Amino acid sequence: MPDMHSLAQAQPQQQSFNPYTENGGTILAIAGADFSVIAGDTRQSEGYNIQTRYAPKVFRLTDKAVLAVNGFAADGNMFVKKVRQRLEWYRHAHAKDMPIRAIARLIQTMLYSRRFFPYYVYNILGGIEEDGTGAVYSFDPVGSYEREACRAAGAAQSLVQPFLDNQIYFKNQTPAPGTSFPRHLPLPTVLSLVIDSFTSATERHIEVGDGLEIYVVLSKNSPSIQGLRDVRGVTELTATEDGERVFVVRRELKKD
Amino acid sequence: MDHFPTNWGRPRNDAYDPYGTFPLPHRPNNHAKDTFAEGVQRTQQPIVTGTSVLALKYKDGIMMAADTLASYGSLARFKDVTRLHPVGNYTVIGAGGDMSDFQYIQKFLDELIIDEFTAQDGHDLGPAQIHEYLSQVMYSRRSKINPLWNSLLVGGFKDGKSFLAYVDLLGTTYSASTLATGYGAYLAQPLLRKEVEGKEDTLTAEEAVRIMETCIRVLYYRDARSIDKYQLATITAEGIKIIDSRPISTSWSFAEGIRGYGAQTQ
Amino acid sequence: MFLTRSEYDRGVNTFSPEGRLFQVEYAIEAIKLGSTTVGIKTPEGVVLGVEKRVQSPLLEASSIEKIMEIDTHLGCAMSGLTADARTMIDHARVTAQNHAFTYDERIKVESVTQAVCDLALRFGESVHDEEAMMSRPFGVALLIAGIDEFGPQLYHTDPSGTFVRYEAKAIGSGSEAAQSELQDKWHKQMTLKEAQILTLRVLKQVMEEKLDQHNVQLAQVTPGKGFEILDEALLQAVIEEM
Repeated sequence: MPDMHSLAQAQPQQQSFNPYTENGGTILAIAGADFSVIAGDTRQSEGYNIQTRYAPKVFRLTDKAVLAVNGFAADGNMFVKKVRQRLEWYRHAHAKDMPIRAIARLIQTMLYSRRFFPYYVYNILGGIEEDGTGAVYSFDPVGSYEREACRAAGAAQSLVQPFLDNQIYFKNQTPAPGTSFPRHLPLPTVLSLVIDSFTSATERHIEVGDGLEIYVVLSKNSPSIQGLRDVRGVTELTATEDGERVFVVRRELKKD
Repeated sequence: MDHFPTNWGRPRNDAYDPYGTFPLPHRPNNHAKDTFAEGVQRTQQPIVTGTSVLALKYKDGIMMAADTLASYGSLARFKDVTRLHPVGNYTVIGAGGDMSDFQYIQKFLDELIIDEFTAQDGHDLGPAQIHEYLSQVMYSRRSKINPLWNSLLVGGFKDGKSFLAYVDLLGTTYSASTLATGYGAYLAQPLLRKEVEGKEDTLTAEEAVRIMETCIRVLYYRDARSIDKYQLATITAEGIKIIDSRPISTSWSFAEGIRGYGAQTQ
Repeated sequence: MFLTRSEYDRGVNTFSPEGRLFQVEYAIEAIKLGSTTVGIKTPEGVVLGVEKRVQSPLLEASSIEKIMEIDTHLGCAMSGLTADARTMIDHARVTAQNHAFTYDERIKVESVTQAVCDLALRFGESVHDEEAMMSRPFGVALLIAGIDEFGPQLYHTDPSGTFVRYEAKAIGSGSEAAQSELQDKWHKQMTLKEAQILTLRVLKQVMEEKLDQHNVQLAQVTPGKGFEILDEALLQAVIEEM
């Protein structure tokens, strides 16, 4: 209990409106050789309250790009809305879907344009590069970004990222003599890692749970399609005939 | 959600005004920040506030409930205030938080509906459109650091589909089959989820009313900023019905057995 | 020729009863007074060539600038009121740089052409309280050459803001003769070298002076080296091969 007397003595303080909050949840993305997987849980919370068990944080932008947004949900939704608007304008101006590399740069300029009143969101962009390789771009709230092989962000970043470092980059592992670690993992392995990441984060973090949405983006004629064959609950979301294909896998997570 | 509207949108600070006795004992000192700051008035705190709003999905559509109290700090200032408001023919909004901001929202939504009506273009705004519009207003006001100090539920029924969503002073939005603002998020939401989740398509109006009454009663027992009078709205294929405010039955006999409440002298 | 024209040729934004904008048409006429400019597209790249009218032996021929770089993958040749082209190329350069900054990719040839043409129609009265930018249409036509994901391309723009893609195009005073020569000699599988020679041959045909390395200029856009203006030595070599 605070000392009420000393509080009364204290200088009158300006209580100003705080335009931000945090809405929990976690996102992650992993790039394969010719595919990319982008996932997020669907719980939205504030403090100890679960606001809803289903609020998507992962969005299909084009057939080659999927964006996951985590942090302050109102900023996140507005940001996705603005990115989509820019993608449509680009489509009208240049008669093509924006390549993922261009989307990544666009997101940087959009985030940095709000450098002094930032969108309080961590973005992870996943998809297929123009050369057909799987790509993951990760951003901080003011637009610093890099392309990498995997990234976790959000409430359970500190739980998930070390796990991915170990399982994707083989950190703190030494290969058996005469062997080496693979540079890219196959799709079924990646899907298992994603599901394990989220079930574990759900166990150990109160802000993670309820539902899981895993987006899979495949490059043209990718043989990785085999890896989706026996997966439960897959829906295809591909909209164009360009060749890249987008799928979403929906799973339940624990609700406690 | 913090149950003291005074604290909404503020950094969590349990040391400051822990009993939510705003605004009577001391108000924050809004010092002029620059020469012209006095010319600009922004809502830095709510004054006359409403507490929880509850809503659920049931078989026929949406049911929403709110008590009729508008508090001035800890004073029960206005005891028959309407916190449920119809917008067009398919939507009801319910508000917690600052009542003057809510009345301003009612005003501009009513104007919006009239503008749309006069267009006579065979289009009318459903609950999803009104919620989107309201969200954009709330978000843009928060982005100007001049928020409308409310948490709102938007419920409706149009074209055979029911709609229920939330928006607040930060522009945060979400949707679920049961929603509750303010203290209701703590006290009523668990009860609502238990009774409604998975039964949205079978729950009858009678059952829904019973659930709502239970929640309103619990809130009246435990939320010091509530009152034993409430309104109930239903939005179904038949349209909007908002029932006149009515009392909730209460039972205080249990108090007899509690030391400090009952007739014990020792 | 124009003596019979009525009051409709005064306003830049008044249609004549026949549905014509005379000032725009006069602007297109102005280009026919300009020096001849030729562009040829090949699978290996695009070649641009211009005639420099060296009106005096005291004039420094190298100071006549009728081919300009827009971006590393985009070049532009002009005919007409070349001073007007500076405004357009400046706009094209800014557009290309902005695109590269915002999207981390090279702007498409068509997109930069579209941007230039958007500018071409900004003459006339101001909108709202915005300052009027230009009082008359541009008096210049451009050949915009470049390479993007659709390969080498050549675009022609005129003062009406219309743009069209060409395999080979000639503009300026000698354009009629030059264009029919291009039609005769151009073929789909031309090499870059052949295109350079054809450009010079076409220019030579329509030029009054004898063609040499001082009174013509050649430029090209190739996948390997992007936009480059051929220096006098290289130009000399092509002239000798003619």
